[in-house]
Amino acid sequence: MSLPILPTTVVGSYSMPGWLERLKTEYFARRISRVDLDEIHDTAVKAAIKDQEVAGLDVITDGELRRDNLIDYFVERMPGVQIDRGSKKFYYDFYNSVVERKLPHAPLGLTEDFRFLAANTNQETKFCITGPHSLSKRIRNNFYPSEEAFATDIASVLNLELKELVKAGARHIQIDEPYLSGFPDDLVWAVNALNTLVEGVQTKIGVHICYGNRYGKPSWEGSYRYLLPKIFEVKVQQLTLEFARRGDEDLELLRELVPHFEVGVGVIDVKTQAVETADVVAERVRKSLKFAPAERLFVLPDCGCFHLPRQVAFAKLCAMVEGTRLVRKELGK
Amino acid sequence: MILQFNHLQRKSAAATSQDVIDALYGLLEEGHIEQAQFARLRIHLDWIQYKQNFREPVTIMRAVTEAGDDPSLMDVHVDMRQISPGVLRGTLLEAMRLADSDAPREEDRVVFEDFASFRSSIAWKFNGLYWHHLTDWEKATGRSYEQALPGGKSDANHEGAVADSVADFWTLLKDLESHHQLPAEVFVLEIGVGMGTRSGLWLDCFRALDEQRGTQYYPRLKFLLADYSPATLERSKPAVQRHMDLCSFLVLDALNPIQTLAFLRHKILHIHMTNVYDNLPDEELARCDGRLYLVQVRAYLRMAEASRIAQAFGLEVGGVSRMVRRLLDVGPDYFQERSQGVAFWQDVWKCLRLEERLVPLDELPQDTLPTGLDARQLAEVLRTAPSDLRFHLSSGALESFRNTVPLLHPRGYLQVQDIFISNLNECRLGFQGPGKLDGSIVNWVNGVLLREVAERAGYDVHFAPFHYRKGSRTSILYTTQRE
Repeated sequence: MSLPILPTTVVGSYSMPGWLERLKTEYFARRISRVDLDEIHDTAVKAAIKDQEVAGLDVITDGELRRDNLIDYFVERMPGVQIDRGSKKFYYDFYNSVVERKLPHAPLGLTEDFRFLAANTNQETKFCITGPHSLSKRIRNNFYPSEEAFATDIASVLNLELKELVKAGARHIQIDEPYLSGFPDDLVWAVNALNTLVEGVQTKIGVHICYGNRYGKPSWEGSYRYLLPKIFEVKVQQLTLEFARRGDEDLELLRELVPHFEVGVGVIDVKTQAVETADVVAERVRKSLKFAPAERLFVLPDCGCFHLPRQVAFAKLCAMVEGTRLVRKELGK
Repeated sequence: MILQFNHLQRKSAAATSQDVIDALYGLLEEGHIEQAQFARLRIHLDWIQYKQNFREPVTIMRAVTEAGDDPSLMDVHVDMRQISPGVLRGTLLEAMRLADSDAPREEDRVVFEDFASFRSSIAWKFNGLYWHHLTDWEKATGRSYEQALPGGKSDANHEGAVADSVADFWTLLKDLESHHQLPAEVFVLEIGVGMGTRSGLWLDCFRALDEQRGTQYYPRLKFLLADYSPATLERSKPAVQRHMDLCSFLVLDALNPIQTLAFLRHKILHIHMTNVYDNLPDEELARCDGRLYLVQVRAYLRMAEASRIAQAFGLEVGGVSRMVRRLLDVGPDYFQERSQGVAFWQDVWKCLRLEERLVPLDELPQDTLPTGLDARQLAEVLRTAPSDLRFHLSSGALESFRNTVPLLHPRGYLQVQDIFISNLNECRLGFQGPGKLDGSIVNWVNGVLLREVAERAGYDVHFAPFHYRKGSRTSILYTTQRE
């Protein structure tokens, strides 16, 4: 399936409906069963897929609506991680979790969720996982001698999972590392862990690095300048970064990045409910084109749309698609 | 009948609980109270610490439902500080008579408004008038508003508290610098500036610490002084004269700071407020027999007081209400002599009372609850609270909080010095307002609801007692973004 120039996609998550939030919380309060919740998730994911298709996105995700947050979905599936199930009041909060011994290498069962996505759309798909650096920041380590050793072993566990996803047909996998910008000094070992994660995984792989989106707010501020030049060592094909909220200051870094990666440029600010117009989006894409050829760019929101109301998220995606079309037209593509 | 003691001031109460019980049994025996009514009576024995307040010594609230009045539910509030045993029976009987109908009785009271939530009451217009014409008020009373505070001065200006605040902030900047994340411009916001004393002290202290440590943070500061009243902002300027180059003065509604400062979203590292939340529009809820009610109010003057005021200012009694409206619209300048306008204002304010009734919350529109707090959350919060309870919704404080935290830098924090309750049991141990503090309104802030709303929005809220002044009732709310 070929993609147009400047392909559009979401970073990963789509709007979490208020009713689904409430039902997830009901599940935690033991007022509905796991079977019911799974069925509810299936329905919500189908709706998220449909919205992305109607908005006109080129690459579709499952909206990550089965996930409580970017950490717990993985923590719950990783054998060897102990979870304090009473530690979370609201479904979106993080569990307190801890590793007391070496992580057993076992499948996490993500392929079922990918298969569900693939079975419900005819379009190109992307499947997202949280990266080893971010997971190591949220799981308390009482076993490994260093954060690097812990993250590397998490990467080994996830590496098996990525290979399973490829076997199941995943053609585009994205690794999310939202904590990296908060800990720029970790970059060296984080890159090594990422390379352990992708070793031998034969598909297109991207890394998303943002400034956080917890509860719809940034977690850090700064410049992507810290990524260079170490990030060039990551053996992936794509990097997706946020620019819409943070402004253009780092856009010139695209010049240095595009020889190494395709770059997904964030053109939608997901931390405000104000809906961008197509013209605003087009202008943001044009600014990116000053530093990188269209053939090396993807167009995305800054981060996941998880915290936006559904109608806002949908309208923003429509504007993103329309703005991108305007630029494609100007490029004659 | 439920007899509820809502205070701990046994010794200073003018009447005893036995006096109240005797009076009520007397009324039952005389047929003034029916047996069915007696069974559901709730007698609240309050002790109102504010010398100036909106309450009669005995107030009776009835429930008004879609089906009409619910005569069986009757909440009787007795202010044990004001009431004396000799007049208890008569006052109770009179309160029952007045609560019997929701129509104003011309011979009893001059009523200024229809029943509505407290936050919509005319009382808040008086509060606004006070802040906009503070100088006139102070001139008439001969004392500054800070002198009217308990203790005679604001806890905001306590040197020890300011020094600790500066040290905390300096530490944050140092940490950001060590992670190469120190912004070129360091924004600090003070909402509700008073005389500017705290801001001046804070800046002095910060500059001294910065010089002592040789860190060069002071020149990066952008210090924003924000207030609802332009007159107050003007009065704060001399206090920060020494730092004028890095100060900006902004007229800002504390209910919606993000509206004015949208360009600083996620950029401000420290936001501070003192005694602002307790002065924002508020309303109360009551839970009786498991059902939640909104306390609706309407403002009035007793007829005797309205007549006295009318006579003193050369008005017909019927003209008092009109004159109050003009005063609130125009200010004391509406009168030929401003001093006369201020005297009228102060007299009316002193006598202004609030009549109350209960309306079931489930019969009101959904947006009765403030944004960020839904009925399910409220039910969850109340799950472990005392079953019969009256509490402040603190809707203005919740609104302000929600519209302030988006300004915070990811590592920034909001500090609020105010009078908070941090446990709903406290609602049964003392009166939390509304009271009158000089010309303004004061309400305790419901920290429990604030914490709930904050948690759902991704913020951690902690309360610490203000330990710098012995006997202070102030707490410090400290808010940071949850990681």
